[in-house]
Amino acid sequence: MSRLVPFVLIGAALAGWEIMARSGLWSPLLFPSLANIGYEFAQFFSRTDRLLEAWTSLHRALGGFALAATTGVVIGMLMGRSAFVAGLLDPLFSGTYAVPKLALFPIFIFAFGIGSLSKVALVFLECLYPIVIITCHGARGVDRVLLWSAQNMGAARGEILRRVVVPATVPFIFAGFRVALPVALIVVIMTEMVSSADGLGYQVIYALASLKTDRMLALVVVIALLGWLLDKALVVMRDRLVYWEKLETYYV
Amino acid sequence: MSLALARAGLLLFVVLLWELLWIRGLPAYILGPFEILKHFFAALGSTELYGNIGASLMRSVPGFAIGAVLGSALGLAAGVSRVLDRMLSPMIFLSYPVPKIVMLPLFMLWFGIGDISKILIIALACFYPTFINAYYGAKSTPKILVWSALNLGASPWRVFCRVVVPSALPLIFAGLRVSLALSYIVMFAAEMINADSGLGHLIRVAESGLRFDLMYVSLLSIAILGYLSDSLLRLTRTRLLTWQELDA
Repeated sequence: MSRLVPFVLIGAALAGWEIMARSGLWSPLLFPSLANIGYEFAQFFSRTDRLLEAWTSLHRALGGFALAATTGVVIGMLMGRSAFVAGLLDPLFSGTYAVPKLALFPIFIFAFGIGSLSKVALVFLECLYPIVIITCHGARGVDRVLLWSAQNMGAARGEILRRVVVPATVPFIFAGFRVALPVALIVVIMTEMVSSADGLGYQVIYALASLKTDRMLALVVVIALLGWLLDKALVVMRDRLVYWEKLETYYV
Repeated sequence: MSLALARAGLLLFVVLLWELLWIRGLPAYILGPFEILKHFFAALGSTELYGNIGASLMRSVPGFAIGAVLGSALGLAAGVSRVLDRMLSPMIFLSYPVPKIVMLPLFMLWFGIGDISKILIIALACFYPTFINAYYGAKSTPKILVWSALNLGASPWRVFCRVVVPSALPLIFAGLRVSLALSYIVMFAAEMINADSGLGHLIRVAESGLRFDLMYVSLLSIAILGYLSDSLLRLTRTRLLTWQELDA
């Protein structure tokens, strides 16, 4: 019985929605019924052109994320292990942290064109920050005793880096990835909503403009599902790679 | 000392390189650094910029406030009470990786295309990071402190105010910092998608009119705004959390 408690609120919300949709007090444009949303949702998966839109968004998000992951881990490691690099780059990263990089998008459009490249570049920029900051935090916090022991036992610098620093930082790297992955999806959807002719974000705006609220909501569910699946995939990967440390809190 | 020199040198090098490249001729959409500053100070003299900044702040500040207050209150409550935890957490953790901006069209249908839908979408986006941090902050309160306070005869409410909240505050501030950055991103996106005022609107107008000077003015304003509010938040944090050592 107690396992059902989490579903009470979700069930109540869904039931409330259906009642509002069926009551006739609001236009179905504002509250389409769950049946219509479900129909559009099924439509989405049965048509290849719609699935292709999802693929477009996904490859933009993952492309930018992969670039940010490789660059961010290297920069973060350098900042965490070298005081000089940290002193040099820290003002840059903490100073521009709260600046919405999205504002650069119009300039990126002129520089990289209106297609995928400007979006990938923006995803890269937005994802870079959390990955660098959290990786740096992790690399800096490596247990000194472990480093000393390794040194005392005659490990070379490269070996210490490979066998001590990297394994100790990997949980933090994954924590950074976990913050950055939803950001990648957010940025892709946003940029597609602002200016694009394909991708899920564009489809949402298109459905809104054609007053197909049920289709729009089905797309929202698809995007939500995508975000959830990406996060799950990352967690599964993390648990395989970082088998020595359990995921306890949400972040680290 | 040598670090400060290296920093200043790097900054000077980048600015000079940029300026030199600009003099040699860059594409029209890239302005030189001094050119940007010139346009920015010129814009500071006109009222148009202030109107747009005001319109943007009228959206982001209430949105951030609603999201932050609700997020920290509910997060603390869910971290303390098992019933609330059971009810709220699954839904929130399930919907956390979902990009909240996709709700904007829906909010526009429900609440109109005015400021309310934008404020609510910003509040929604800010809610999540604050909630999750407040939740873990409250959960990770050292048990021994709670037991000691209870043993010393403190009422549960007093334990909450004097033990749980202070021990959760560092994490809450970490969440607020994420929320603040997010509030500007969402504000900017919402204004770019649909608005008749604000910095996001300004950059769109500049883009379609090929007014690159205006584009950089808007970009610089939002950067300064983001930086200032982040500094303000960090200052509040150091003031409030005097007992905590700062590392980042």
